[in-house]
Amino acid sequence: MTDRHRIALTVNGRPCEAEVESRRLLVDFLREDLGLKGAHIGCEHGVCGTCTVLMNGESIRSCITFAVQANGSSILTVEGLSGDGRLHPLQEAFWDHQALQCGYCTPGMLLRAYEFLQENPRPTPDQVRAAIASNLCRCTGYQFIVEAVLDAARRLETAGAGRGQEPAAPRA
Amino acid sequence: MKPPPFVYHAPTTVAEAVTLLDETGEEGQVLAGGQSLIPLMNFRLARPGHLVDVTSIRDLDYVRREDGRLRIGAATRQAAVERDPAAAEQAPLLVEALGFVGHEPIRHRGTVVGSLAHADPAAEIPAVALAMDAELTAVGARGERRLAASELFTGPFSTSLEPGELLTEAQFTAWPPGSGHAFLEFARRHGDFAVAGAAVLLHLDGGVVDRAAIALCGVAGTPVRATEAERRLLGERPTPAVVEAAAEAATAGLTPVSDVHGSSAYRRQVARAYVRRALALAAERAQGGTR
Amino acid sequence: MSVTQATPTPGRERKWVGKSIRRVEDPKFLTGRGGYVDDLVLPGMLHAAVLRSPHAHARITRIDVEAARRLPGVAAVVTGAEAAELCNPMPDFGPAPDKHVWRCLAVDKVRHVGEGVAVVVAESRYLAEDARDLIEVEYEPLPVVADPIAALEPTAPLVHEALGSNLAYQRTFVFGEVERDFAEADLVVRDHLRWRRSGGQPLETVGAVADYDPATGMLTIHCNSLTFTHFLFMLANTLKVPANRLDVRPAPAGGSFGSKFWAVKVAAIAGMLAKKLGRPVKLIEDRVDNITNCDHHGSDRIYDVELAVMKDGTLRGIKFDVVDDYGAYIQFGTGTHGNSLAQCVGPYRIGSVQYAVRAVLTNKCQQGAHRGFGSEVTNWAIERMVDLAARELGLDPVEIRRRNFIRPEQFPYFIPSGNVYDSGNYEGVMDTALRLADYDHWRREQERLRREGRYIGIGVISCQERSVFSATEFWFWFDEPAAKVTSAPESVTLSVDPTGGVTATLYSNAFWGNSSDTVVAQLVAEEFDVDPHSVNVVYSGSNRGLPATGPGGSRFTVMVAGAVNGAAARIKEKARKVAGHVLEVDPEDLEWAEGGFRVKGAPDRRLSLAEIALQTYLFKHSLPDEIETGLEASKVYDHPYTTMPSDDRSNLGVFYPFVGNACHVPVIEVDPETGAISYLKYVAVHDAGTMVNPRGLEGQIIGGTAHGIGTALFEEYVYDRDGQLLTTSYMDYLIPSAMEVPEVVVGHQETPSPFTVHGIKGGGEGGRMMTPAALSAAIDDALAPLGVRCTELPATPERIRRWIEEARARGGGTMSG
Repeated sequence: MTDRHRIALTVNGRPCEAEVESRRLLVDFLREDLGLKGAHIGCEHGVCGTCTVLMNGESIRSCITFAVQANGSSILTVEGLSGDGRLHPLQEAFWDHQALQCGYCTPGMLLRAYEFLQENPRPTPDQVRAAIASNLCRCTGYQFIVEAVLDAARRLETAGAGRGQEPAAPRA
Repeated sequence: MKPPPFVYHAPTTVAEAVTLLDETGEEGQVLAGGQSLIPLMNFRLARPGHLVDVTSIRDLDYVRREDGRLRIGAATRQAAVERDPAAAEQAPLLVEALGFVGHEPIRHRGTVVGSLAHADPAAEIPAVALAMDAELTAVGARGERRLAASELFTGPFSTSLEPGELLTEAQFTAWPPGSGHAFLEFARRHGDFAVAGAAVLLHLDGGVVDRAAIALCGVAGTPVRATEAERRLLGERPTPAVVEAAAEAATAGLTPVSDVHGSSAYRRQVARAYVRRALALAAERAQGGTR
Repeated sequence: MSVTQATPTPGRERKWVGKSIRRVEDPKFLTGRGGYVDDLVLPGMLHAAVLRSPHAHARITRIDVEAARRLPGVAAVVTGAEAAELCNPMPDFGPAPDKHVWRCLAVDKVRHVGEGVAVVVAESRYLAEDARDLIEVEYEPLPVVADPIAALEPTAPLVHEALGSNLAYQRTFVFGEVERDFAEADLVVRDHLRWRRSGGQPLETVGAVADYDPATGMLTIHCNSLTFTHFLFMLANTLKVPANRLDVRPAPAGGSFGSKFWAVKVAAIAGMLAKKLGRPVKLIEDRVDNITNCDHHGSDRIYDVELAVMKDGTLRGIKFDVVDDYGAYIQFGTGTHGNSLAQCVGPYRIGSVQYAVRAVLTNKCQQGAHRGFGSEVTNWAIERMVDLAARELGLDPVEIRRRNFIRPEQFPYFIPSGNVYDSGNYEGVMDTALRLADYDHWRREQERLRREGRYIGIGVISCQERSVFSATEFWFWFDEPAAKVTSAPESVTLSVDPTGGVTATLYSNAFWGNSSDTVVAQLVAEEFDVDPHSVNVVYSGSNRGLPATGPGGSRFTVMVAGAVNGAAARIKEKARKVAGHVLEVDPEDLEWAEGGFRVKGAPDRRLSLAEIALQTYLFKHSLPDEIETGLEASKVYDHPYTTMPSDDRSNLGVFYPFVGNACHVPVIEVDPETGAISYLKYVAVHDAGTMVNPRGLEGQIIGGTAHGIGTALFEEYVYDRDGQLLTTSYMDYLIPSAMEVPEVVVGHQETPSPFTVHGIKGGGEGGRMMTPAALSAAIDDALAPLGVRCTELPATPERIRRWIEEARARGGGTMSG
């Protein structure tokens, strides 16, 4: 029994059509069918957050979402965060603060932080901590990630809310 | 950890969904947010042959305020309720509890009604529904019916819904001015299911409790309403001693199941502490403290 | 014996070593182009899934794979029995490999929940799992041994019948006059301590992509483990391929924390399948595989410890009697206790040690490596006992430590087991920590808040961080070791291209998140005065590789610094000759400065490295005959300081010589009703010798501290009496989130090692090696009015709550809740 569906969605600003098996997890669709390796597989039960992507501007776990459920949506992955060969201010801040070690949680962490800063452009350290608690990091102890997100908030504010650095996919 | 195969259905009306559920029988299962179901499928602990995705029914995606009631459709995500101004006014207890449901990425997908239908005894929303005497609407091949939250939960992950019946709406009735609410839970890790949690509503008249609702999660096979403790509060001022006695009454008879996150005795101990703290906070809020 | 004394270049400031530069490896990780093993796709690649045992101990009476084989899209199903024909047993460094045989898939019987019994290969992972569901296995359950003490009973069920018992190894080491010290002691404090198993649990599991070319017989395995390249001939033996036809190619690891040190089974299964099928095969553990069957659970120890002390607080001798539950196999022998013996007196002048160890086999996943490799457990045990002695003697925990520290002028200091501590200033580290923590302030606050009924606790501990193991620790266990002692080298090749660009080739799978590219780039930059971001760091496959050991035991930075330094010296030696020839001066009249050689006293007569490199590549016939074309050199850097054990093993020699130290001071509050802990302050001061990238080291310290918080309070692989693992998901195995980890105030002290290049010591494990002791001390201190003592980790809220109840039952003070 193979139940397949056609889906049409936008990924990192580009329209995309595909036929997927109904059970195909969104993370596998992104990684294997579209070659977007930035969404990682960590636990496949929705706890660790390494597979985090944005769907219509909202962070979701792509390991517990079926690709067929993404039909009609707009997806942003880490590959869509930087454009024109330039890193997003968040990525720059993560680099400057050494907010990553093994890098495995980093794409999910960046997307969660990106979403959070849109909701709360001037967060306190405690608010950042609470926001990124959705995503596990085994390496850093989170502290440099918190520092990087706070710094990115300042950079985005200075850069006029990051205009000109916006990724292609609009927030729904 | 990949899910077994299934047939996916995206009905656009309730009638279509009900027909699909009726046709697929035991093979059919409702898919709402999927934040509990899909992990189970990835572990291959759940193997539905057909999934009927109710979030594709646009008519079920709403948060409405009507006649002092908050109505939430089955397609409505938890995050949408969490940021809805009407929900904050009508059901602040629910909104407070939603902050404990997983993390934001989970709440962006998970639904309020789906959590009720999933009936996890450790989950927050069922306890709130019980405390607020939520009224639920179920639709099946034989038509629509109303049921109280207290009638829904029959055991761990099991409900009184008939095969093929779809929960389409939950209604929460607002408590009057002079009420205070509190949802508090103890989890070993932020965002995890509670070792024990307490959903509390108090109404005070002249400093005296004249209405109380206490529900607990994580301490039994279903969420539990602490009616005896509620009764003891009535006509009393919520002094520390009264609150402590109510917390004791709310938890004395409980025999929670032991697991790796807490033994039965420990869960009862935590529940007692958290009922007490929730009652104290609700009383403070009812008396005009911070909401 | 080999000891090299590194002499720092006098009068020269370091330019790049010591700078917190941005990491050179980060852009790829920031943009989703990490190149992890699961990102690799080869044409025609198949996907494998392992069928795991649901039983802890059972005989396999029948396996029927026909239905699975018939499923469309399935390429092969291999059972344990078939795998035993395709492969030899797994490489095993344990005490009696022929008596506790370990195979990639179980044969005849399963010995723990999660052990593989068959593997399916299919066109997709989805199909492989579908087929896995169709395999029928009949098990005959056997009596389970899940408790290590019960496992020692003569009637206990046997995990390995051939071994004749479940005791895989036992030995009692005596170092120094321990009986005299105990006889002369004013006080002997004793305790029973329990450290339960947890593990590295990196967010990326172990994976491999294997590719076999039947025409050449070449087997290539891409994987995120197997750092020990000069032991890969053992994997070749397992896979029945000639060692020179096996190429293991490193992929960056998405975290390891020890657990990818030598996670050989996944590579073996993938290699076996690729060889059988002649098609590339990918095998990536899922989370359940990793939790139940990763071969890298951590220490699981039961201690009886005695500490002999004098009235004035002088620590005289210590006796450890430890039972360690190794699980169903014992792949590394008792190497985790070698780590313990490297620093078995902590930072103290304890004159004698008795160390009795019994390694027990049970029906659990086997132990491997976990950040600290067993030394972190000993740190905890020592500090628990020192705290107990302080309590008994009425001494402040700071004071008892101050009185017993090895003093700066005593280094290098040989501890009773024979290992050396190269350098240190322990009191300096502790004083910095107390200052950063504002210790006196918090003691006053503690007093004040206690009157309000709040339970504030301050922990102060001081522990060692041994680094850079020597391979002797894998054989000094035996009077007649099976093999003679080897080294644990690290190698590098430096290539200067005709434009002066430098490429550094590494030979181990060195990237675990530990900034190996950045470290090497900074070390190269230091040697050649180039921008570290211009250095190209690449990783060689093992087949064309020099011997290398990779990270583990906090060795990589020290060892690769030696290799880079050695290779650079060879390049400079050649470059000096070339420059001397071109500049027509005696090479001895040249000096290295600002990226080239210049004539002493005539600084404008100079050649840059690029100019010299161009000469070596393009103008061979203008140079002396003995100068070969090109500018490249390699260095195999062997362990710089190893001495041999005595024949009677009363002295184990030097085997873990570069020893850092740290002091952690947590200030916590305990909720007496729930046992929950919250943080008011957390200070960590570390001395890891000279720092290469201080920010990077800080990241390791903070991350290690978070990991240690997991170990101390949250994480446990919980097995029930039937050997069922109850924590097989991340819902139950609790890795701390940002909300469970405090902000850590980090302080540094730099006491350079006199024996290593630049004076570097290892620093990757220290955080986790301190935190459990520190939090245990803080818990005790918070609940001191009751007399609670933390003797078991993880100290879950429920355990803390139980200790409170037990203390109250003993009549230890009063408290609410």
